Amino acid sequence: MSSAEPSFQVIGRSQPRLDGPEKLRGSARYVADLHPAGLLHARLVLSPHAHARVRRIDTSGAVRAPGVVAVLTAADLEPTGLLAEGEVFYAGHPVAVVVAESEALAEDAAELVEVAYEPLPAVLDPEEAMRPGAPLVRELPEEHASQAMAAHGAAAGGARDEPRPRNASDVVRFRRGDVEAGFAQADAVIEATYRAAAVHQGHIETHGVVAEAAPDGSLTIWTSTQGSFDTRQGTAGTLGLEEHRIRVVPMTVGGAFGGKFLLLEPLAAAVARRLGRPVRLVLDRVQDFLVSRPSPAAVIHLKMGARRDGSLTALQARLVFDSGAEPGSPVGIAALLLGGTYRVANLDIAGYEVLTHKSPAGAYRGPGAPQAYFALESHMDRLARRLELDPLDFRLRNAVREGDPRPDGRPWPRLGLVECLERLRDHPLWKERPAGPDEGWGMAVGGWPGGLEPAAAGCRLDPDGTLTVQVGAVDITGSATSLAMIAAEVFGLAPDRVRVVNRDTDSSPFGGSAGGSKTVYTVGPAVQRAAEDARRQVLELAAERLEAAPEDLELRDGRVSVRGVPSRSVTLAELARLSTRFGSRYAPIHGHGRVAQRSSSPGFAVHLARVRVDRETGEVRVTGFLAVQDVGRAINPAEVAGQIRGGVAQGIGRTLLEQLVWDDAGQLLDANLADYRLPTGDDVPRIEAELVEVPAPDGPFGAKGVGEPPAIPVAAALANAVEAAVGVRLNEIPFRPEALLEAMKRAG
Amino acid sequence: MKRELTLTINGQPYTGVVEPRRLLVHFIREEAGLTGTHVGCDTTSCGACTVLLDGRPVKSCTLFAVQAEGHAVTTVEGLAREGELHPLQQAFWEQHGLQCGYCTPGMLMTGAALLERRPDPGEEEIRRAISGNLCRCTGYQNIVRAIQEAARAMRGAAEPVSAGQGAAGAASAARGGMVP
Repeated sequence: MSSAEPSFQVIGRSQPRLDGPEKLRGSARYVADLHPAGLLHARLVLSPHAHARVRRIDTSGAVRAPGVVAVLTAADLEPTGLLAEGEVFYAGHPVAVVVAESEALAEDAAELVEVAYEPLPAVLDPEEAMRPGAPLVRELPEEHASQAMAAHGAAAGGARDEPRPRNASDVVRFRRGDVEAGFAQADAVIEATYRAAAVHQGHIETHGVVAEAAPDGSLTIWTSTQGSFDTRQGTAGTLGLEEHRIRVVPMTVGGAFGGKFLLLEPLAAAVARRLGRPVRLVLDRVQDFLVSRPSPAAVIHLKMGARRDGSLTALQARLVFDSGAEPGSPVGIAALLLGGTYRVANLDIAGYEVLTHKSPAGAYRGPGAPQAYFALESHMDRLARRLELDPLDFRLRNAVREGDPRPDGRPWPRLGLVECLERLRDHPLWKERPAGPDEGWGMAVGGWPGGLEPAAAGCRLDPDGTLTVQVGAVDITGSATSLAMIAAEVFGLAPDRVRVVNRDTDSSPFGGSAGGSKTVYTVGPAVQRAAEDARRQVLELAAERLEAAPEDLELRDGRVSVRGVPSRSVTLAELARLSTRFGSRYAPIHGHGRVAQRSSSPGFAVHLARVRVDRETGEVRVTGFLAVQDVGRAINPAEVAGQIRGGVAQGIGRTLLEQLVWDDAGQLLDANLADYRLPTGDDVPRIEAELVEVPAPDGPFGAKGVGEPPAIPVAAALANAVEAAVGVRLNEIPFRPEALLEAMKRAG
Repeated sequence: MKRELTLTINGQPYTGVVEPRRLLVHFIREEAGLTGTHVGCDTTSCGACTVLLDGRPVKSCTLFAVQAEGHAVTTVEGLAREGELHPLQQAFWEQHGLQCGYCTPGMLMTGAALLERRPDPGEEEIRRAISGNLCRCTGYQNIVRAIQEAARAMRGAAEPVSAGQGAAGAASAARGGMVP
């Protein structure tokens, strides 16, 4: 970058997380660590059937069990829809809740709840569900965009007035030009179907909440959530309360990855209101698998054409996302990214969200994008191979640039896809690609449009000379440390002289949910402005005390001094004390910032992976990984790299190991961490993170969101590497060793 | 039915009356009030509940509390000495070996047991040793690095290592570039 680049004191220098010590000492408080006086424990009774009528619920045995305080069904709670009413739509659908004096007693009693079910036909395959005459999964609720998807910026627009096939809860269609004419101009046309399995977010901390009602019915909710204000709004809406009557306290979050949006809070709150005692509902691992919202399975049929010169001529796609028992899949964003990554004049993309009798789908790190890019980037490699083009040059030639239209017609804002590709092209690893026997390299692109949500922040100077920054956004990624660094940069302080607090929804300024890679991008500017505001106030006060003009003052190392006269100075601590004492004539230092970003900042990544294939077993091992990503500006480079490595590891998991498996009756077969295999330290290689900085015009110091992109290109990079290694291609994730063996055998 | 139980946790004697089915992790968290030991699964898979039993790492969700009768348990709260972070805790912090923090206590206990046994473990050995502890945030790399760094600190070697995350990381990141 140019020499005019401002030099920073804090930004861009790796800073250990400010929440490190409490987490390392075991003193950070997660929701399951809370034990308010009088606490009761709730346990859910779940449907064992994928689809059934609930004939009768006999709670008499459970009610008499030791320690049981209440056994509640839908009709016992206000509103009634918090538990299944008359019909269950997936195995795991909660039908009753048992509340007891201890967790063990609640679990014992839950076994005694007798539910008489009349099983109904279960529809489990989305493509079968779409056929005319297929059984109806459920009466479709009114159109409602999923909160989680909206929070991720994953609601994608596009024509939605298309006819809906049976059981389709959403249809999205993007069209441009004439695909048939486009295919006619192509020298190569490739058509294939890709499948991605449903996966769980795999946060090691399960979902949990503690709720307590005051005598007037107002509520305090302690929860593991990505969004405290979102939780407040969702709970208020569900319970029919005004928002101010609910105080949400966001606890330390033990992993979320898109999975921790409003889920158990309204139920726990309703139970607490009904019983008048605090209630804790923490899911065990099996129930977490059954009740929470997994990343949906997808089938993507893709046809693309390209000329010999490497230009794309047409892209046609049909996406089917299995949304489970409720609408809210990310099919729209998947369709947008599938058609929005490369310049192609002729497009026709149809996306269908289809209901089935399975756990309702939710968000997981770049919702919809890993599925879309698995198809797109597998296909790009195939086309390059067919046309004998360099796979990187082929992508570079077609990559979208700022101003190019997305499938919805809106122009892409500034984005760094080309810069990432160029960085990879110049990287020694790309040039050399060293490979041993049965090893091969594959590359793939992935991107995320970037979410938006307004945010406000406060910045208070405390009498000890430190800053307290108040925000309403939850920290799930280390964002609080980055926000502290932003305020520290403005004030010329060390980051550990800044505390970032998000106490509860009563006392915090509004902040959006931590999802969609947007916390630093949207809350960061609010913090920056709040700190600048506070700094202005500091200089005004100091000017009065030092009898100097504010512009003659400098703020450094916690002290304001008259430029050139270091003896005339006053410390931040002195200024804070002056303005916070009894009888003071000075107003306290308290800066405000509020921002509604209007332009999103897309984050693109390019991955290069090496795999080794075991020809005897069909197993694939990742033996090298380079992740190149445009991060705008890395405020805390080591933590940005940490996000990238964590995202890649999750991508490796869903490509090689993870899969939610339902049997023919709709039973989830691997609802535990023994059968559902998450990647271990042995499965993940060293991951080299290469940061590209294409500053986001509206981002704080140019920063943009970084959390989602690294999970997105992984599957296709590995599929492309497998083809390079052994000459066959897998169109389904996770890769199954037996499928690879079979494919190798067929290929001879 | 209930049984009396005496054991030490972090050197402190604890006596309690528990049901035989009470898991050690629940005794630690609820009776002893030490909530740094976490529960992530109930199938001995995730390792978030790892503690030391007479110095050996065990998954405390897979032991009954009564099985610890007369034994010495060490939890994450017992790592720091007189308020000072244990070298392993310090290394996890400096090397960015934690994010959400949920797996961290178990990871630390497994790491501490490894270093007790093997003062200079190699990368593959560390990855094998922690393969019973799941981390979903970090991709493991900085955990491995932190354990190596702690090993070095504990051996008392003066050689400075991995400045990469600090000054050098900042320098390279100033223009973008690789972050080690």
